[in-house]
Amino acid sequence: MKKIIVIIFLLTISLPLSAQKNPGKDHAKSNVNCKTCHVCDVPTKDDPCLVQCPREKMKTVYESPDKTVDVVSLDELSKKYLPVTFSHRVHAQMSVLSGGCGTCHHYNTSGPIQPCKNCHQTSRKRDDISKPDLEAAYHRQCITCHREWSHGTSCNSCHNLKTTNKEYQKEEVKKKVKGKVHPALIEPAKIVFETKYEKGKMVTFFHDDHTKKFKIDCTSCHKNETCLKCHDVNKTSNEKSKIIRAQKSLDEHHKKCFSCHKEDKCESCHLGKPSEHFDHKKRTGWVLNKFHDELSCAKCHGSKIPYSKLDTKCVNCHKGWNIENFKHTITGLQLDETHAQLNCEDCHEEKNFAVKPVCSNCHENFIYPRQKPGKMVRTK
Amino acid sequence: MPGKSRRDFLKTTAVIGAGVAGLSSSTAKAAPKNILSEDRMGVLVDTTVCVGCRNCEWACKTAHDLPAGELHSYEDRSVFTEKRRPGTKALTVVNEYSSGKNSNLPLDVKVQCMHCDHPACVSACIVGAFSKEENGSVIWDTDKCIGCRYCMAACPFQVPAFEYDKAINPSIMKCDFCFNRTKEGKLPACVAICPVEALTYGTRTELVKIARERIKRNPDKYVDHIFGEYEVGGTAWMYLSSKDFSELDFPKLGTNPAPGVSESIQHGIFAYFVPPVSLYALLGGIMWISKHRKELDEEGKL
Ligand code: SF4
Ligand code: SF4
Ligand code: SF4
Repeated sequence: MKKIIVIIFLLTISLPLSAQKNPGKDHAKSNVNCKTCHVCDVPTKDDPCLVQCPREKMKTVYESPDKTVDVVSLDELSKKYLPVTFSHRVHAQMSVLSGGCGTCHHYNTSGPIQPCKNCHQTSRKRDDISKPDLEAAYHRQCITCHREWSHGTSCNSCHNLKTTNKEYQKEEVKKKVKGKVHPALIEPAKIVFETKYEKGKMVTFFHDDHTKKFKIDCTSCHKNETCLKCHDVNKTSNEKSKIIRAQKSLDEHHKKCFSCHKEDKCESCHLGKPSEHFDHKKRTGWVLNKFHDELSCAKCHGSKIPYSKLDTKCVNCHKGWNIENFKHTITGLQLDETHAQLNCEDCHEEKNFAVKPVCSNCHENFIYPRQKPGKMVRTK
Repeated sequence: MPGKSRRDFLKTTAVIGAGVAGLSSSTAKAAPKNILSEDRMGVLVDTTVCVGCRNCEWACKTAHDLPAGELHSYEDRSVFTEKRRPGTKALTVVNEYSSGKNSNLPLDVKVQCMHCDHPACVSACIVGAFSKEENGSVIWDTDKCIGCRYCMAACPFQVPAFEYDKAINPSIMKCDFCFNRTKEGKLPACVAICPVEALTYGTRTELVKIARERIKRNPDKYVDHIFGEYEVGGTAWMYLSSKDFSELDFPKLGTNPAPGVSESIQHGIFAYFVPPVSLYALLGGIMWISKHRKELDEEGKL
């Protein structure tokens, strides 16, 4: 009997303990407000006075921007002002590149998203002045970003004063922003940086290659951008095409590039003048035809960066091709009867398929270039 | 000024005077409890939070019956092209500076009386019109003010302004920490209106704690300095910033209360008609003590 009591006793104390993840010994020094987890001022080992996490309706923070709440109305403080109604979705979409949902929803438990007023008191005259009151909490989240690009703090850019509008139609604004999504981002094709590196001041960064060809995700470079990166009422459109003077620290500028360009020399990027777009033909001698041009680099060169040089044998990639099953039509040229009977090397010298054969290699006069050795089924 | 504070004032001057004269001046920081209430209030101004909306300027004027104009007219940021000072028409002003570390937002700094714990203006006032109140505010009695402007000269922050343009009863003007509002349990007007609560109102002790905590949690954001914690012996209004305070036009000040303390004994006595003879005896005594101490110090050093 005694044993059973002991077991039951042990079970009762161990159950709640195992439910709570141990935050570690020195967690008091971490960058988290004690009140996030503890209710009382002086939590002890015996009485940690933990906050009850709301476990019902589990909702993971965060949903993807497209699935998130569409329109939100902040009307907790509607005594003074008419509520602020805004497109939550558009903001969520923008946050993907600038700190994520946590930029605003900065405190989360494992339960549902916390309403601001759970922690921020509604009255400015209050006991706990260690965190801002609700009004200030709202304003800090909004104004800090909005003033960055608007260069102002005008109240009525978000609010309508109760006194100025007799009948405020919250629904009207809701209708206006409902279903709104952020317009597609305009990507720069290339960005030219002017750096302080004496031996090669100009660095040309081909943005579209990195996103489209290398398929690098936007967030791998743009995680914590400020609003100013895209939005600025003072920015004129031609300012965007200007050469950007590199101002961040050496480390900050190189970090993103170095994650891939590990073995590149300084001079690979730093040149005396803005560089031209990478030309596969000029740089490697291999012209990318219609098919090859559409492939991502990794498709041929593998994912290992820097890309290694390939030799130009077709079978390097087209492993299955051989003299029996190769259909010349795939090259765009369906050989006529005479030519179809020839051996490959009769036209392709030393079986070098990288170089297109020219008619004059075999034929003396120049009738043949006009009269192809077959039927063009596709033109490049 | 009510009788109680007059008595306090006498006590204040006498004790500070004795403290300064008798001991090394650093002890003046540890002020006796009967002068500086433990629960005296203050404001923590976080310049990294302030958005420069200047609503506080409007609220301050409105609360003090000064011509304020429309609130939305304060959205005009062109005023920031020059640095302004508090004056008789505006007891507080906000100035804008270029951004501090790790930010591309400008820094906005609200300026007003600092409500010093050992106010030079109080010590300098020859008629005892100025007083440091229990709730932390430094206020003055217009009826007593004789317009000598000693306070203006003494203030290390150049805060008090004089109504030169007023022919009848010109007086000193400065932020009074909204004494009339706080008396009724209201918040200072600027604190109440600030949309982002860049101004936190609380007991000075708690504010220092909060400020320390903010610096500790965000070492990349703040410079490790609470302006007003120790400057001139401590002030009720304290500042946090992301930039060295000297770049924000804050004067570089020591930790000793601003000069003007020893005259206060003189002034105090004048104000309450104590015969000058005893004053000289007291001053002589003080001088002897401090000289004697100095000699002892020097001998000790040698
Ligand atoms: S800042 Fe100047 S006016 Fe204000 S309390 Fe200090 S000394 Fe007096
Ligand atoms: S405390 Fe009152 S008097 Fe002082 S600046 Fe604020 S509103 Fe003006
Ligand atoms: S009201 Fe607050 S945010 Fe606005 S200028 Fe004054 S202190 Fe700064």
